[in-house]
Amino acid sequence: MLHKRTRRTIALSITAIAVLIAAVATWLIRQRLGHASMATGWTLLASVGLLMLLGLRKKLVMLPILPVRVWTQFHIYTGLFALAIYLMHVPVVIASGFFESTLSLLFLSVAGSGLYGVWISRRGAKRLTAIAGEYRFDRFGWHRRTIADRASEIVTEVGQTGDVPVIAKFYRERLQHYFSTRPSLAYVLVPTSHRKRRLLTELGELDRYFASNVKQAAGRLAALIRNRDDLDYHYATQLRMRMWLAIHIALTVAMLVFIVVHVLMVLRFQGA
Amino acid sequence: MGTTSTVEIRRPQRWDQPFDPDMLERDVQWLSSLPPFSEMDKSAFPANTPLDGVLRNDCRIRKVQPGEVIVREGDYGNSAFLVLAGSVRVVLGQLPPQSLGRATAKQKSWFSAISALWKQPQFPEVRTVDQITPGGSSRVQQHGDTASIFLQDFDGVVTHERTLQIGPGEMFGEVAAMYRAPRTATVVADSHATLVEVRWQGLRLLRRDRVLAQQLEQNYRTNWLMIHLRETPLFRFLPENCLQKVADATLLRSFGRLEWHSDYRRTRKLKPVEQIESEPLVAMEGHLPTDLLLIRSGFARVCSRYGEGHRTLAYLGKGHMFGLREIVHNTYRDSNQAPVTLQESLRAVGFVDTLHIPIEVVAEYVLPYIRRTELPDPISRDDQQARARHDIASQVPTGMLEFIVQERLNNGRQAMVIDLNACTRCDDCVKACATTHDGNPRFTRSGPANDGIQFTQACMHCADPVCMIGCPTGAISRHSETGTVSVHENICIGCGTCAASCPYENIQMRTMRDPKGRMYFDESAGLPIMKATKCDLCQSQPSGPACQNACPHDALVRIDLGNLEDLSDWISRRR
Ligand code: SF4
Ligand code: SF4
Repeated sequence: MLHKRTRRTIALSITAIAVLIAAVATWLIRQRLGHASMATGWTLLASVGLLMLLGLRKKLVMLPILPVRVWTQFHIYTGLFALAIYLMHVPVVIASGFFESTLSLLFLSVAGSGLYGVWISRRGAKRLTAIAGEYRFDRFGWHRRTIADRASEIVTEVGQTGDVPVIAKFYRERLQHYFSTRPSLAYVLVPTSHRKRRLLTELGELDRYFASNVKQAAGRLAALIRNRDDLDYHYATQLRMRMWLAIHIALTVAMLVFIVVHVLMVLRFQGA
Repeated sequence: MGTTSTVEIRRPQRWDQPFDPDMLERDVQWLSSLPPFSEMDKSAFPANTPLDGVLRNDCRIRKVQPGEVIVREGDYGNSAFLVLAGSVRVVLGQLPPQSLGRATAKQKSWFSAISALWKQPQFPEVRTVDQITPGGSSRVQQHGDTASIFLQDFDGVVTHERTLQIGPGEMFGEVAAMYRAPRTATVVADSHATLVEVRWQGLRLLRRDRVLAQQLEQNYRTNWLMIHLRETPLFRFLPENCLQKVADATLLRSFGRLEWHSDYRRTRKLKPVEQIESEPLVAMEGHLPTDLLLIRSGFARVCSRYGEGHRTLAYLGKGHMFGLREIVHNTYRDSNQAPVTLQESLRAVGFVDTLHIPIEVVAEYVLPYIRRTELPDPISRDDQQARARHDIASQVPTGMLEFIVQERLNNGRQAMVIDLNACTRCDDCVKACATTHDGNPRFTRSGPANDGIQFTQACMHCADPVCMIGCPTGAISRHSETGTVSVHENICIGCGTCAASCPYENIQMRTMRDPKGRMYFDESAGLPIMKATKCDLCQSQPSGPACQNACPHDALVRIDLGNLEDLSDWISRRR
């Protein structure tokens, strides 16, 4: 088995050679005043067909027809090839007219979401590993509840030891909502640690008003705030990694519909 | 931050849990009046483990009926049997698995594998009655308080198979019990017979009796030792007479506790240095080598002193050698050079059985028959080989090496390992597992992790599958060729022994339902029918393990963690 980097270099070189061959062929056809767009169009259609195979393979996991990882690599490099062919196929990057421009936009968004997928898969996986904790997607709700319950227990516990209005008020006003709600859409799109830092600073500022037993409880609450932030980071990253795929697939379906109509129109006008 | 308060508890005693809690005083009396126990030298047993104690705590009396299967080929050995009355038959040929009650998973065709996609049941763990009850030529029957498998066609088996009759005073199953090996033959009761079953702990104690010890050792030497030596690749060119000389001179030794799985939860929490120091020392660095060591079973840790602790350099498993480099160096060194001492220590991880071949015998009967190219290079000051060996370890960082041994993951022959830096947590692996198991995933993507590598909690099909110990019906067994450990649900009685024994918690007990979603209930006890479920390595699927096949990011691999080079290769290809 080859090293990952070596495999990537080989695959990129093969793709580059394929693109070069296609480019020379297109140039030759144009030189001979042929319809280069027909050749690139059919090549593009064939590439889209090949790209579809990954979805099918993923369904048939029980078959020994090369592991999905090989098909995924094939999908990525065929995608790059298709993008290059698209650029040879179209006169301008985004065509004019409602139908053609929508098709262009769809194609570019499918390609863009694919590239984003490659990037987020690599980066997201590493980031998740770097941030403490390992959470399964189906268990996020449970983890959130556990943190919220622990926070409420801490406040109740200190409440029993005497008069602690400061921390109870802070919990009610600032933490309860933080612990009991899911992260916002904005956070999911761009996870930042602002909120965590703000809450920790506010809690830190109250420190001088706390008795020593309350200080300890505040320390535990601070740990839970950090914990919750890590959890949210995991959630946001995992959600984005799942969402891009859903979006990529939805865009692909829409693109396929437009492609079919486009091909039918081309055949119709070519025949005319 | 230390605390001075203490918690007082009673130290667990040996024999806190007798093999058979119903063993009565009069049973013990009766047993001790029968040979070979009556002939044993009682004074050979120390006061804290007297012979009577062994009989009371490590033995149980079993009455078997004609046709009852006592041990099955492929079962995991944990006890030996002595025939007291009646006779039993050892089947020398291989019986078809069905007659032992085991339904082997047939390899599915592509079509039937695909068709399972649209036949996915709506409920979890759906089975037909045939799938969860014994069929064909065997039956499970309650016999006393244990469930036994009976051969339906016992007479046919006796007529058509080569068998060996064993009568009163004779023993069987002791080698499997002593060396935690799978049974090599099936033994069936020939008539109504009375047996005494001795668990291995007791068998080890009984070896204090010189006669029995000699007999056991003799049995091992005659039946197994030559086989083990012949399996050693380095000895492949040894002429038969030299191999015999080696066998004659070989000492058999064991270190550590065979019951490592019960200590495991406790010791894994120790600091690495404490854990290493708690492991029995097999050979110590700095001492002159006296024997060539061959690991017969179990795992041993190769480590060397490093600062205040010990650094793990590798671990050795079955068939590996220790001390060869030093012995070769000393044998071929110039006469003016001093002999070298052992460069590393060897410690038993859990337990380890070793063969010790004295150096004189190695020099005379082994080394002349090994090609010089196969021998390790002499040890020099900037020890090339030590560095080469260290290079293997360095792809597997020292911390991870310690971690693997600490968690006893080295036991995994088909461990599921995930590179967390490549895993997008998409769970396609889990979904693929569910797809190939009628919608029931056999693992969750969780488990201990170290340095970005997760060792997922899915059955690892261990080198020492302790889950198999004590299964009363032999429903959990290991495939002799592929090594896959699988549950034969048709004879699994749902007792949960395997789930309790698996140190990695990789077996789940599940209730079974019919295709309409109704739970099966036992007609006599009125309790739900439970079965042990776990990863079966997709053995019936044309694809092999679907998890590995399905990972789009090349993050997941099934790997033999007993072989460090596999792991090292895999890690180096990714970094
Ligand atoms: S069930 Fe547990 S002990 Fe048995 S083979 Fe699997 S991982 Fe090993
Ligand atoms: S399929 Fe691969 S990437 Fe997805 S969760 Fe499993 S191991 Fe991770």
